[in-house]
Amino acid sequence: MFRAEPLLNIQLVMLASEAPDAALELARMGVFNPSAGMREAGPELLPEAPAERYREAWMEAETRMSKLLAQCGDVQDLSIPADAAAPSLTDLRELNAWLKEIWIACLACHEGEERIQEERKHLAALEETLSKIERLNVDLAQLLRGDSLLAVNIGSLPASGLKRVSDALSMTGTLVSQFDLVGDQVFAVIAGPRSRNDEVRGLLSQAGWRELPIPAVLRTHPQAARSWLDEESKRLEELSGAECKVMDGMRGIIGPRLNEARLRVELARPLAEAALVGVRGKGGLAAMTGWIPRRQLNALRAALQARFHGRYWLDAREPAPDEVAKVPSLVHYPGWLQPFVPLVKSYGVPRYGEFDPTLPFAFTYLLLFGAMFGDIGHGAVILLLAAALYRRVGGLAWIGMAAGASSMLFGLFYGSIFGYEDILAPVWLSPLHDPIRVLTLAVAFGVGFITLTLLVNTGNKISAGKVGEALFDSTGIAGLVFYLGAVGGVVSLTGAADLAQPAGALALIGIVTVAAFKWLETRAGWGERALVTAIETLETGINLFANTLSFMRVAAFSLNHVALALAIFTLANGLEAAGHGFTIVLGNVVIIVLEGGIVAIQALRLMYYEGFSRFFSGDGVEFAPLRLETRASKN
Amino acid sequence: MSAYLNTRVSLYAGRLWQAEYFDALLRVPDAEMASLLAQRGLPQLAAGYGNRDGSYDQLSLEQRIIAQTLDETRVLIRPLTGAERSFLIYWTARFEVSNVKTLLRGKMSGERPAALLARLTPMGSFGRLDNQALAHTEDVGELLRKLEAGPYAGIVRHARRAFEQSRDPFNLDAALDRGYYEGLAQRARPLETGSGPGLRTLMANLIDRINLVWLLRYRFNYNLPPAQVYFLLVDAHYTLTGARLRELAAQDSLDTVLAKLPQAMREQLVSVSDIPGVFARMESVAAERALKILHSGASTISRAFAYLILRERDLRYVRAVLRGRHLGLPGVDIRFALQRAPLTVM
Repeated sequence: MFRAEPLLNIQLVMLASEAPDAALELARMGVFNPSAGMREAGPELLPEAPAERYREAWMEAETRMSKLLAQCGDVQDLSIPADAAAPSLTDLRELNAWLKEIWIACLACHEGEERIQEERKHLAALEETLSKIERLNVDLAQLLRGDSLLAVNIGSLPASGLKRVSDALSMTGTLVSQFDLVGDQVFAVIAGPRSRNDEVRGLLSQAGWRELPIPAVLRTHPQAARSWLDEESKRLEELSGAECKVMDGMRGIIGPRLNEARLRVELARPLAEAALVGVRGKGGLAAMTGWIPRRQLNALRAALQARFHGRYWLDAREPAPDEVAKVPSLVHYPGWLQPFVPLVKSYGVPRYGEFDPTLPFAFTYLLLFGAMFGDIGHGAVILLLAAALYRRVGGLAWIGMAAGASSMLFGLFYGSIFGYEDILAPVWLSPLHDPIRVLTLAVAFGVGFITLTLLVNTGNKISAGKVGEALFDSTGIAGLVFYLGAVGGVVSLTGAADLAQPAGALALIGIVTVAAFKWLETRAGWGERALVTAIETLETGINLFANTLSFMRVAAFSLNHVALALAIFTLANGLEAAGHGFTIVLGNVVIIVLEGGIVAIQALRLMYYEGFSRFFSGDGVEFAPLRLETRASKN
Repeated sequence: MSAYLNTRVSLYAGRLWQAEYFDALLRVPDAEMASLLAQRGLPQLAAGYGNRDGSYDQLSLEQRIIAQTLDETRVLIRPLTGAERSFLIYWTARFEVSNVKTLLRGKMSGERPAALLARLTPMGSFGRLDNQALAHTEDVGELLRKLEAGPYAGIVRHARRAFEQSRDPFNLDAALDRGYYEGLAQRARPLETGSGPGLRTLMANLIDRINLVWLLRYRFNYNLPPAQVYFLLVDAHYTLTGARLRELAAQDSLDTVLAKLPQAMREQLVSVSDIPGVFARMESVAAERALKILHSGASTISRAFAYLILRERDLRYVRAVLRGRHLGLPGVDIRFALQRAPLTVM
């Protein structure tokens, strides 16, 4: 729980023809995280990428499958038989060809339906337009005569392009007259010399012009339009119905086979995903590299042996020191700690070998929240609200419930319930009556917390093989010695203990060691080296001092909580009974929402910046094994 | 924030290439290429030469040049907000519009999705398109519909209608280019009024050059009729107004077009006799003006935009030199090519 599970790097070499099944076996076990690069066999030894075409075919098939499933709906979870084999490249290509055929047919139905919808819109616009022409009583037959000197076009174009088209057409002696606007489409009559009509038509096709299909019957008189429009509407209705039938029919035909196809696409996924990282090969051989938990090695050997009967070669080795940064982290958390994992991961993933801070994070976060927002009543409201939201927000509610409980516990310590400080006697102390003690405790907690982070960082550096940094850097043992010496000095100054001499000596040893280390580590000229050493050493002192004082906010917020409640009571006491009650309730709501939110963020900030930043690089890689996806997509 | 950006632009201005740097790039041995490029502020390009004795593939060079531009734009937009930020972000969108064109051409020729994807320019955090989904569409129709549901709907909708009417890929490309630059001019307009004459000068140089070069190309290379030529130009409000462009499009030869230009532009183009020459001369004048704006007390957004324009010009020249070297061309030919840069950046 505190560190990632030990991993081994494996290289699995097999027959290229059996690579899909080998990847499938690895995905079934769910313990193999593929990785790029092979130390033992570089690109010159294994120059080919035998799974590239497989991945390409899979990507196409998978995309088509997703689109088809989105069209067909009713997607169930997938059941994968234990003895199912992965498709070969030829199978996958055949499957892909079938999916392509089906999808093109679907697309044709879909596009047919879209076209009908567009036709309908157009028809509606035409109806509106013709009703206007009707009022004009224009003789369209005369207007649209094919043998006149005047070429007339009636149609629509995007409104945004009207001015541009008018300007351009003016160069050909053609006039544009807008007679209607429907949505973003302008309906217009375009008239100009027939001799330049080809030029006009070329331009109109670029402008997205759409001719109004005015049938011969309409040309005699616009009033004849009504029956024609009705007939057109009916025709479109029938066409639409036909398209729907085709779609329904297709669903019926392809439905059962589609599920089988989905299974085969899923069985092909492991090799396709491994190929994304890199499957190398030569001749008839393929090789995959990746990481597995050390404890799974024997199980993996057994599974491969059972499946391939010796037709494979598996090599396993420990991670090399220079590749630790690339090794994925696999940490197992107990269920109750899981909700806190995303909060830690939002800062970053711990590197392989680094201390995983989730458990101390969970405890410290709750402790800080409770200390800053200690109130039995407010804590109970948060707890109940979180419990009520459990179904909707899942594991996150657990954090709310735990924070509420912590708040209640500290409320008991402080003797505070809905801001009332005089109902319960404090079990421990009352922040309002003993603010100096609260401040002192907060700073003392900060000292303990920072000491812990420095120790953790030292451990992380040692496990990463950076012993020099662990011992002599400002965030290692030397920094800790300085820090403890400085704290001892401050304690002596306050008169709480007489530690001046040993504390001063410790601080001096620590800071001189840090300075010497910075001097040796800086690669630059003398002047720059001196400057960097001076500034970085000074920064060490200032940072540690500032970080410690940062914890005073814990005390400040616990006092702030009481002060806010006092302000509400003062306001409420100036009002009569109803106003009093309303102000108390509203004030408590404001405290819970506003102050509760701020405290939650402040506690997180303390953890991230005063804690994590000191020992946690956060640039690790999460362990992502090959897996089979059996759950239905929500799309 | 403006002080930060001004300082950042001033620091970046020191990265712009002097003429002698190109000479050095022509002469440097292959093995020292990476360190020279890194020294001259082009780490993305230098990375392409690492451990490869100066060899590179052309596609990777294009992608690295764009990656370098995007990296620097990312730094420049960091302190910007509102219209200024969206203007500079939109300036990078031309690379993505170029990806859209690649996708469309790929679909027309039935290219494999994997091959198509490999040809697209990675846009990093500036990317707004789902390239995987687009590359895996079945045909141009499905692709256009998907694009219409995305961030470039405004540009694509018009292009789709034009394409559906004519089925001519030229119409698609022309509509996309025009849509992009009209979008740029639209975004620049509110900034031009509030940030002094610098940005307007830069935009005028850019759009007037694009309009004039397109006009000449459509009219005399493609022999399109005047009205169609005018329609395909960018609708903007700079030196070459709509009325002027109509007049120019109606001319019958390059010489008469140049003779009808406003006097200031005519003077710039004295002794120019072909379309690449028009582009090169106008670009050179625009670069001089951009350099003046960069080193002046112009508004921050004007200086940042001037830097990006100049930087891109430098990178184009660097690309010309590297390509020339790769093809084993003599230095004199490469130098000549630097005077006659490509017609467009898209």
